[in-house]
Amino acid sequence: MKYLNLMVCLLTVVLTGCASAPAAKKDLSAFNTAAPRSILVVPAINKSLDVDAPNYLLSTLTVPLAEKGFYVFPVNTAKFVLEQEGFYEGEQIHQQPPETLAHLFGADAVLYVTIQRWDAKYALITTTVTVEFDYRMVAKDGTEIWKATQSMQYSPQNNNSSGNPLVDLIATAISAAITRAAPNYLPLTQQANQVVFVLGPNAIPNGPYRKAQQ
Amino acid sequence: MKNLHLKIILMALLGLFLTGCATRSGLYQWGGYDAMLYQSYKNPEKAVEFRQGLELHVAKMEAANQKVAPGLYAELGTLYLQAGDGTKAVAMYTKEREAWPESRGLMDSLINNVAKRNTAKAEVKS
Repeated sequence: MKYLNLMVCLLTVVLTGCASAPAAKKDLSAFNTAAPRSILVVPAINKSLDVDAPNYLLSTLTVPLAEKGFYVFPVNTAKFVLEQEGFYEGEQIHQQPPETLAHLFGADAVLYVTIQRWDAKYALITTTVTVEFDYRMVAKDGTEIWKATQSMQYSPQNNNSSGNPLVDLIATAISAAITRAAPNYLPLTQQANQVVFVLGPNAIPNGPYRKAQQ
Repeated sequence: MKNLHLKIILMALLGLFLTGCATRSGLYQWGGYDAMLYQSYKNPEKAVEFRQGLELHVAKMEAANQKVAPGLYAELGTLYLQAGDGTKAVAMYTKEREAWPESRGLMDSLINNVAKRNTAKAEVKS
């Protein structure tokens, strides 16, 4: 019986949790007017020092946007097509008129992302990994319909103190060394995308396939 | 025994609560598409694994009569094309076109381009 009460309690939390009071929303009327069904994600402009960042970022953008209910043009195929047209770099692609890109692919909207930060700062014993992206969506007629900036930071905290300072220091040094060898930007990037498209106050409205599910 | 069942349900509910809001209900199954794409960018030799992984996933979805997530047929098609198999590429682009009307413009031009390449007997750069 005790469990049953707890369960009902939890169930209530589960059922109401997601529908929490919305924070002050930005004006999405331009987005709603354009009502895009399909989004073309083009390779990003890279302002970080990591040359691989745009490709890695590209691999994270499809799933959250498609799960939001849009048709997302296959990003690797789009990249291939752009390369066939002679466009290899984000800068070059972002300079093209959005109308031209949208027309080339038959897309309703184009998503442009600029990587502002994608770095690991090494302090004495901890490492802070940071990503920051500017997102901008433009309709096929060239109107900007949505924009947002999102940054995410991770620095390993030594929360589970052993009570022995030396042991803690070694543990921290090991975790910093691992991060230093291969800082993992993907979880941070996925979180940034999740916040910006789905969870945050400036999230984009649902697309047609998500609406059809409701 | 009954308590044990309740405990399990309770744990499941807690799990749902902790993950439910972040992932919501998924529209599609991706079969590890994003992770495989990431790996293939990280190490271009993994393109073969990417292709095989997508082949398996698409076959599984088709066998279960489930809709294949947007873009996956086309991505598989492009991997075939880059491996020099224009026929399989066109088959995949055609499936993408049929599954997702939004893709028609792009798929038509890709299919036309493959046809042109084939008549020109051009080597496809991988």
